Amino acid sequence: MTPSLVIIFLVLILPLFFAVYCSVFNAKAMSFDKFVGLDNFIKVLTNDIYRRSLYKTFLISGASLVISLVLGIAFALWTHKYGGFIAFFIQMLVLIPWVTSQVVGAMLWKWLLNEDVGLINYVIGKLGGSRLHFFSNETVAMGMLIFVIAWRTIGYAMVNVLAGLKGIPQAVEEAAIIDGSNRWQKLIYIRLPMVRTPILISTIVIALSNINNLIVPLALTGGGPGTATSVITIQIYRLGFTNLQFGLSSALSLILFAVTIILSIGYVRVMKYDT
Amino acid sequence: MILNQRNHLKNKSRAQLNSLSLFLKVFEILMFVLLVLVNLLPFIWGAITSLKSSREVLSFPPKLWGFKLSTEHYARVFADTFFVGIRNSLMYAIFAIVIGVVVGMMAAYALRRLRFRGKRVIFILILSCIPLSSGSAALVVPNYTFFTKLGMINTWYILPLIYLGYNLPMAIWVLMSGMEMVPVELDEAAKMDGAGRWYILFRIIFPVMLPSIASAALFIFLGAWNEYVVSSVLVSRSSLYPIQVSIYNYMGYYGVEWGPLTAAATAAVIPTIIVFAMLGRMMISGLTAGAVKD
Repeated sequence: MTPSLVIIFLVLILPLFFAVYCSVFNAKAMSFDKFVGLDNFIKVLTNDIYRRSLYKTFLISGASLVISLVLGIAFALWTHKYGGFIAFFIQMLVLIPWVTSQVVGAMLWKWLLNEDVGLINYVIGKLGGSRLHFFSNETVAMGMLIFVIAWRTIGYAMVNVLAGLKGIPQAVEEAAIIDGSNRWQKLIYIRLPMVRTPILISTIVIALSNINNLIVPLALTGGGPGTATSVITIQIYRLGFTNLQFGLSSALSLILFAVTIILSIGYVRVMKYDT
Repeated sequence: MILNQRNHLKNKSRAQLNSLSLFLKVFEILMFVLLVLVNLLPFIWGAITSLKSSREVLSFPPKLWGFKLSTEHYARVFADTFFVGIRNSLMYAIFAIVIGVVVGMMAAYALRRLRFRGKRVIFILILSCIPLSSGSAALVVPNYTFFTKLGMINTWYILPLIYLGYNLPMAIWVLMSGMEMVPVELDEAAKMDGAGRWYILFRIIFPVMLPSIASAALFIFLGAWNEYVVSSVLVSRSSLYPIQVSIYNYMGYYGVEWGPLTAAATAAVIPTIIVFAMLGRMMISGLTAGAVKD
């Protein structure tokens, strides 16, 4: 028990306490000399740039979350109908983006969506459309970021919901049919309520993962065009490692972490376990 | 006459039903094709690009086939820091897996089989850390400042330690689910024969829960192999770079070098896919433990 706790404290918990310490100083690079109290928090929370970033973060994370939940549930219901090998194959297929590196996934999409020589613009041209400016048009760039983040997480939602569907006792579904409920009634009154926990867990884990996602925005859009997709994680990264403002970026990290911790608490509450 | 008409109606509606179900079938097949395409196209197109010559990579229209096969990008990438990246990441992952499985087994044993004060609090703490492994940008700056203060950045052990920290909670969780399946009678019988705790844990329980151990190891491996953000700030010496940082470096300051980049990406994804294909079923049950109770 002790070694595990030492590792978890060292890597996950003590750094956060240290961040609290850093966040109350005015820091240039790694020298924390001038105590400024809560100034850093006030600075980032009253600054329009960071407020806009927070808003973008929730917008992009939320939109991707909804997409992956809806598609995840739809795919789970669809493959559940077949079961067996087909279901397993589809699960493996949609989990590939979740288990492969995000750097690779984001970069390969960036390559497919390349505005000048990309395969997708070529296909669009062949079909008679005009080239899309995937990364130079603000709205389209945002859409692409939402798409790639959702692409990564659909598998997670689907696998969880499918596991839940498999756990519904046959007798319950049969009883519903005998009582004369049709397909939709069965879905709404029996199936969805019975997979409530997997849906909730997927929601929490995916929301947390999206809000904390730095790699995909960094590799795919780099926050651009302009500041159209500069989510909060990009601001933290640049504030820290480009501007070396570790006081401010610690404060911003802690704000992000507060959201994370709320989701973590939710996760613990809905998880099923016994001790 | 009436009967005839009714039969006719019946046939008509059956025909309609058939065309509807045919439509649904076609729709399903289209969905399936789309699913395969969306999930695999980036990787396939990356692999195709990586096999083109430098001149053909950026040619338009892009060629799906009929180009001259060339391994120049692979030759370049493996002569570069990328090879160092593969070697480092393998070492880091093995280090994290070995320690993770040993200390994870100890933790799982304590949480499943022993009684002690604060057990529930510790369990909840570990559980709440699990989602962090799926994304932890909030920890990048804290980890950097903390380990810089401790003088641990740019060392050979910092990245394995980080990977271990991020993925240990999930590993413990998977091992706990596995240990739940091992009957307590097994422990008790060994205890009667005079076996100590260590012997019971690593000689009796360990061999019967190998699938869970493989699953825990897989989660640690994927976490270690795929991590980029924290790795990119904690080591700045190219001899310590992990694989993802080596890949990212082909983004370059002077524009992306798509040839080497896709070659490196393809080479990095292949081991992941192989391991995942072999252990996928276990991984799925690990991912869904807690969402469903078995």
